[in-house]
Amino acid sequence: MEALLNSDYMKPMPYLLEGLLYTLLITFVGLFFGFVIGAIMGFGRLSKNKLIYGLSSIYVEIIRGTPLLAQILFIYFGLSQLLDINMHKLVAAILAIALNAGAYIAEIVRGAVHSVDKGQMEAGRSIGLTKTQTMRYIIWPQAFKRMIPPLGNQFVISLKDTSLFSAIAVGEMVYQAKTYYATTFTPFETLSMVCLLYLVITIPTSLYLRRIERRLDV
Amino acid sequence: MIQVKDLHKSFGKLEVLKGINANIEEKEVVCVIGPSGSGKSTFLRCLNLLEEVTSGEVIIDGENLTDPKIDINSIRSRVGMVFQHFNLFPHMTVLDNITLGPRKIKKMSKSEAEAAALPLLEKVGLSDKASVYPDSLSGGQKQRVAIARALAMEPKVMLFDEPTSALDPELVGDVLEVMQDLAKEGMTMVVVTHEMGFAKEVGNRVLFMDEGIVMEEGSPQQIFDNPQNSRTQSFLSKVL
Repeated sequence: MEALLNSDYMKPMPYLLEGLLYTLLITFVGLFFGFVIGAIMGFGRLSKNKLIYGLSSIYVEIIRGTPLLAQILFIYFGLSQLLDINMHKLVAAILAIALNAGAYIAEIVRGAVHSVDKGQMEAGRSIGLTKTQTMRYIIWPQAFKRMIPPLGNQFVISLKDTSLFSAIAVGEMVYQAKTYYATTFTPFETLSMVCLLYLVITIPTSLYLRRIERRLDV
Repeated sequence: MIQVKDLHKSFGKLEVLKGINANIEEKEVVCVIGPSGSGKSTFLRCLNLLEEVTSGEVIIDGENLTDPKIDINSIRSRVGMVFQHFNLFPHMTVLDNITLGPRKIKKMSKSEAEAAALPLLEKVGLSDKASVYPDSLSGGQKQRVAIARALAMEPKVMLFDEPTSALDPELVGDVLEVMQDLAKEGMTMVVVTHEMGFAKEVGNRVLFMDEGIVMEEGSPQQIFDNPQNSRTQSFLSKVL
């Protein structure tokens, strides 16, 4: 036991767990805003108004068509230069996850709302509900249920994406690992533990999602 | 109750309704029959603006639906609609399906709305199904819930769009029975149907539609026993 705790595998753990906190913080806060952005842009993509549809489409296509690393550097260095500000690293990280996930969530929202049978809107309107009321009480609850599996999937993707923030020296897990093994010369042990910590979160999440998915199927 | 004047409806270049004129009196049960593609469902859907009217007028209860200033939601709440595929809300119980409209539109309290809904469920013979989800109902039961849902708004007119077409044959009877009871109570009804028996027995008047116009109209006896139009004759010879 003593030997295990003192092994080169366990020694980086305090640093890695500190990194994990940042990883989770950026993921949860980023996805919260990402969902807000995604919901707005998703409805934009369903809009009959050409301007709203066009703007939300441009956003989705730009984000989906460029690499996340470039987006991160653009936000942290590019925007700081443009606006002549000193952006906090953590703010840049959360903003990057929110904007990036927002585009993918927009497509999830669009697809889910679109998949609700057209007859539901007609039934809602036919009893006299407005379009907004029908959306709120009838379409959205059904669509939201269908969004849960892909949203969970997006959670796993965004969680892993936070590792890219090591490029701007945000103290998440991979960055913590890099600074640690730079002095101890134990990259194999350290990175093994990093992967293990990711898997401890991602695998149960995936299993849980699969269960939800099966339950929603029936 | 309903006046339709020179109603036209086009989808893009395709003209589906080519000038419909109809007058539906209070407490009248009008059945609309005709081959598929004749425009009868589109005609019905224009009566509560589920389809935008291209030109012409639809006047319900003195209000002109084609007037751009009209509050269409308020009209729709007075015009009940029953769909071929029921369109119940699958995420709500039967009771919630029925009370949603009264609660959100008539601003009734939950208990008020539920108290009003129970007699409706009894009327359609489904008192024991209040707390189940639509999933567990048969097609016929679903359609009866859909009728109760429409009735909960206390409509002045009920529109039925092929209400029994998606049902197994043995389930059609229950739905038609509920509709027949409604007719007896004096509900104004417009029914697009393939049930010629229902049209004959319950309808006060039958409209035969083909190619986007009303080809012939009259009492069920006139239409079924002594059709004048050759189209009507050939249609009836195929379905009867």
